[in-house]
Parts: sequence; C-alpha cells; structure tokens
Amino acid sequence: MRTFKWGAAALALGLMQISAPAHAEGGKTLETVKARGVLNCTGHDGSYLGFAEVDDKGNWKGMDIDLCKAVATAVFGDPAKLKIVPISWAQRWPSLQSGDVDIVIKASGGTLSRDTELGLQFSMSYYLGTTKVMAHKELNIASLKDADGGSVCIPAGTTQEQQIAAYAQKIGIKLEPVVIEKTEELEQAYFSGRCDLYTQWGPVLAIARSAKGKVEDHVILPDVIAVEPEVMIVRQGDDNWVDIANWTLSALLFAEQEGITSQNVDEIKAKPTSPQVAKFLGATPGMGKGLGLADDWAYNVIKKVGNYAEIFDRDLGKDSPYKMDRDLTNLWNNGGVLFPLVID
Amino acid sequence: MTVLAPPAPTLLEDLRRRYFATPLQAAVSLFSLAVIVFLAWKILNWALLSAVFTADGGPEACHAAAGACWSVIAARWRIILFGLYPFEEQWRSALACVAVVAMTVLSCIPACWTGRRIAAIWVAGTALFYILMKGGIFGLAYIGEEQWGGLALTLFIFVTTCLIGFPLSIGLALMRRSQLPWISRTTGIIIDGVRSLPLISILFTFAIVLPFALPQWLQGDKLYRVILGSALFFSAYQAEIVRGGMQGVPKGQEEASMALGLSYWQSISRILLPQAMRNALPATINQFVISFKETSLVVIIGFFEILASGNAAYGTGEWRFAYVEVYVFIALIYFVFVFSLSRYGAFLERRMAVGER
Repeated sequence: MRTFKWGAAALALGLMQISAPAHAEGGKTLETVKARGVLNCTGHDGSYLGFAEVDDKGNWKGMDIDLCKAVATAVFGDPAKLKIVPISWAQRWPSLQSGDVDIVIKASGGTLSRDTELGLQFSMSYYLGTTKVMAHKELNIASLKDADGGSVCIPAGTTQEQQIAAYAQKIGIKLEPVVIEKTEELEQAYFSGRCDLYTQWGPVLAIARSAKGKVEDHVILPDVIAVEPEVMIVRQGDDNWVDIANWTLSALLFAEQEGITSQNVDEIKAKPTSPQVAKFLGATPGMGKGLGLADDWAYNVIKKVGNYAEIFDRDLGKDSPYKMDRDLTNLWNNGGVLFPLVID
Repeated sequence: MTVLAPPAPTLLEDLRRRYFATPLQAAVSLFSLAVIVFLAWKILNWALLSAVFTADGGPEACHAAAGACWSVIAARWRIILFGLYPFEEQWRSALACVAVVAMTVLSCIPACWTGRRIAAIWVAGTALFYILMKGGIFGLAYIGEEQWGGLALTLFIFVTTCLIGFPLSIGLALMRRSQLPWISRTTGIIIDGVRSLPLISILFTFAIVLPFALPQWLQGDKLYRVILGSALFFSAYQAEIVRGGMQGVPKGQEEASMALGLSYWQSISRILLPQAMRNALPATINQFVISFKETSLVVIIGFFEILASGNAAYGTGEWRFAYVEVYVFIALIYFVFVFSLSRYGAFLERRMAVGER
C-alpha cells in the first residue's frame, strides 16, 4: 500500500513538474481567493488528533483548522468563509499545486526538498514538533541516560527510527529497538509492557498518554531527540500570500504577547495601550493596506478566532483532552521559541 | 422385489458415528467443542454482557467497563453514516441512501427486468439521490460534493461505478471479439493496460493529475473524475469476465443465429449475451463484491467514505480508545451489503439454470 501511495505521488509530482507553469498564478492567490469568496484549506482524510478532527456534529476543529480559520478571517473578516478540503498526506503537494487548496496547514515540517524541489514556500513556524520519549513511571527513569539497555517502541519507516539511534549513540547508551508499523499496535505494545520506552512525535505521544486515562502512570522524558518546525505552506512565487500567512501568525502571537484576547479586544481597541497596539487593532490606519487586507483584519482574527494561547489551550492544551504543555511552542518571554514580527 | 432402505439413524446415533467413532475422535471433538464454547463466551461477554451501550456515561463509563464500548457508536454514528454532511441536513443523506438501496432492490426483482422499467428505475433513483444530496432546487440548501460522506458516499461511488462500468465492459468485450484486427487489438491493449495498473494509481491520476492536463471546462468535480476512473478499472476486469462467458457459448449458437438471418445486434442481444452472462455470473458477482470493498481506496484522495468517517468518528480525544468497536460496526455494515449481494447471486444462478434442468 505505502509504495503504491508514494509511487502515485511521485507520478503526480513528475507530471506536475512538466505542466506546472500553465497553472502558476503569479502573485494572484489573494485575488483568486477573494473572487471565489471562500478560502480552501487542508483538512484530513479521517482525523489527526488535536490538529484536525471532527466533532459530534461533523464540524472540523483542531489546531490546524483554527489556523485555517485565522487566515480566512484575515482575508474576509469571517471565519465561516472557509472550505476545509479533506486531504491525505500523499495528496498535500499535488493539491496545492493544482489549486485545489490555497494553503497547506497540516502538521507539515519545512524541509529542504519541499522548499527547493517541490516549489513550495513556507511561513514562519507555528508549532515546534519535538520527538520525545515516554517511559513507564514505575521504572523510575528521569532522563534517557537512565534507560541504558531498555527496549524502545519505534514507529516503522519514520525519521524517528534514525533519530533515536543517533541520540542513544551520542549520549552513550544502548537501546533495544522494537519497530512496529501501525500506531494502534505500537501503543498496544508499549502500554502492555512489551517496551520500556516509546518514542514518537511529541503531540502523538502526549495524546497516547491521555487516551489511556492514566496520565500519571507514564512520564514523558525531558530529552528532546529532534525538532521539526511545522509551517504553513503555499505555492512558490506569491510573496503577498506568504506575507499574509506570516502576518496572520504574527498577529496571533503579538496579541498573546500584549495580553489581547477575544474577551478584551474591544476594550483595548477603544483604549489602546500603545500606538503599536492601536495600529494593530485598526484603531489607527496602516495595518492592512500593504497586505491588500482591511485595516481591522487583525482585530477580526483576535475577536473571532482568539490569540495564539487561546487557540493552543482550546485544541491541544489545558482546555483540550490532551493537556499538552506549551514546551518550546511558547513565546520567547515564556521559555519558548515563538515570536511576533515587529509592527512599526 | 423391493430393497428396504436402512432405517434412518437417530440424531444420537448420527452424532456418535460422526464425532465419537474412536476415542481419539472423541477427544478431538470434545477439545474443539471446548475451544468454540470458550471463544463464543469471550466474544459474547465482550460484545454484549459487559458492554456499555448508551452514551450517557460518556467515555468514563467505558473506561470502567470490561466489555465493548458501543457508546462510541451511540455518540458518533452520524459521523460514520453521513461523514461531513451538514448536521441539520443529514435526513437528506439518509433518504438518499434509502433511495439507492430501493433502486438496487427493485432492479434485482425479475418482474422489473424489461429495458424500459430498468431504465426508469435507474434514472429516477439516481436523479432522486443526486437532488437529495446536492440540493440547490426545491428549497433544499446547496451542499457541494466535498461535504458528502460516510455510507451515502460509499454507496454512490459503488452504484455509479457499476452503472457506468457494466455497459462499458460489455462494449469492450464485444470490441475485443471484433473481426477487425485494429479494433480488437486496440481494445486488447486498453484492457490490458488498465489491468496492469494498480487501482490506487488510476484514482490518484484521475483525481489529481488530470486537472493539469485538461482544460477547466472539461474537468468536472473531483468526485466524478474518480468515479470515471474507478468505472474504467471495473470495466477492464469485467470485460474479460464477459468475454470469458462468451467463449463458453458454443460456436454453433452464433452460426445458427446467422443462418436464421438474425442481424448482428439481434444475435448478440438474443443469443450470445444471455448465455454468456449466465456463464459469467459467479465471476461477475465476485467482481461486484470486490468493487464494493475497493470503494474504501478513495480515502487516499481525501474522500470521506465510510472507512475515513469511521476514522474521524473515533479520532477525538474522548473516543480514541474505542477504535475496535468502530471497525466492528463498519465491518457489520460491509457484511450486510456484501452478504446480500452474494445471496442474490446464488438466487440468480438457480433462476438462470432453468435451461439446464
């Protein structure tokens, strides 16, 4: 199956290389989106926990979906002007290139080949995906150094396989790998005690822990095996559209930094705390013109979607079932690596 | 003189003869029986006795119980059946499913087997399905194809694939038998070409690569391109099945029909095809069953068919642990459809065997 998928994807991409110029839209994505009246953004073919899932009434929710809403709100002032297109992993790039979607926000990392060979363009990182290791509590492991000789469950065919081997070598311990393909089986193996450790992309790990209902029986070790910056991805060659993606993210982070939330945004707009904030919320002009958006676009985003902290807490953090820590995905002044661009 | 039949064995004698003839046989029988009873009890206990059925207690009630967590179905069945279809409009999707099933059942009844009736049933059924699902007229709200999902989408893809693919397969089979070499050879190359590609790459090509090659006005919605690709795949396989059926019809039949002065189409439709289809029936039913199951492949190009809907149904923080129950539920739905399909095939075989009695 997997080879079929990749074969098909490679075929699609190969053909794309030949015929892509016919469809390149040359800096007109914003115009196309406005003319269409909705933003086409990526969903998932099923559910990707915490990032794109479906509620009881069939509505999309999750971190990636909320970012799609933020971009739609920046363009239209209305989060409802958004069409989530269900898309599989293999289909991401062909769909973007063929114009099925305007932007890919799908827990996807920025990599060299995606940037240079596939003709894609990245925004700043909106999430730092870390590869981490979880251990059974009763083993009394404080960090990976204590786990010498232990067995570790690893998802097959992923970069984690090489990352954990390299990391173990670096800190001078030996681990016995148990490599399993399917996530359900992999977790079954760990929780049934077949492995002492379980290494995985951080969010999936935290979510696995919360699903078992016994969060306190398992510890996620502080070792960071590897980091993957998740980015929003657009077609190459439309600077304005990358700017909109970057500034939407920046607005969410700036609002968090300044303490502007969906609750208090109206008060602050009426009585701005600084000229910067006044411009940000559209109380004084200048925020939208250069991007081709309305001056109050950032106000709309914060009012209707919330700031970065609100989004994170709702989808992954303390108000979600997953209870994930912000970790590296925090603002610079809270021990993280995220920062807004400067509004001048 | 009459030969007396031996007296019919009683049930007990029969059992003893079959299962307890020697001590070894008895031991094997008892052991197997114990295993079966043990497994049956385990399954029964898991599925019914210790299971949680209502969604009232939420996921917590399931964590406490030892058995199956059917509350995930109670809470999320609408996602499984209707996918991303708007919540308030899901009755339309339900009616559309009923329409497709009714259409299929009607066209399986021998009394409806005249060209005109079949055509009327299919046109009416498909139109009804399409209007209900898509809306935009009669005061129904418009709902685009990308929001269709669940069982309704699976049924739609299957039925339209067969509807387009079946006539196409007969056409291909006839063309492959053509006297003109360039027609028969070209058809042969097309059929073998399609058959040597994996279905998933055909679907991927039709869904994603075709828009690069075709002008905008010829593209249509992704869903219809995919159905076309899947129908092409179906017809390539089915054409070979039909051709196999045709080769089983004795040559003399066709020669006799020509000698009687029947035209080509008369001889095909009255003499050749009815006999060929009878020969091809078991393999044809097989092909239908395979196509029904293969609809689940469209998940790779981002359609919310029933398997993807199932994945979305258990794919939330609360219900994540209950994937076995969701898959069992979907398996039951598949079973109902495929099992009725094969039973109907068996009925058809008995009915069509009339001439051989």
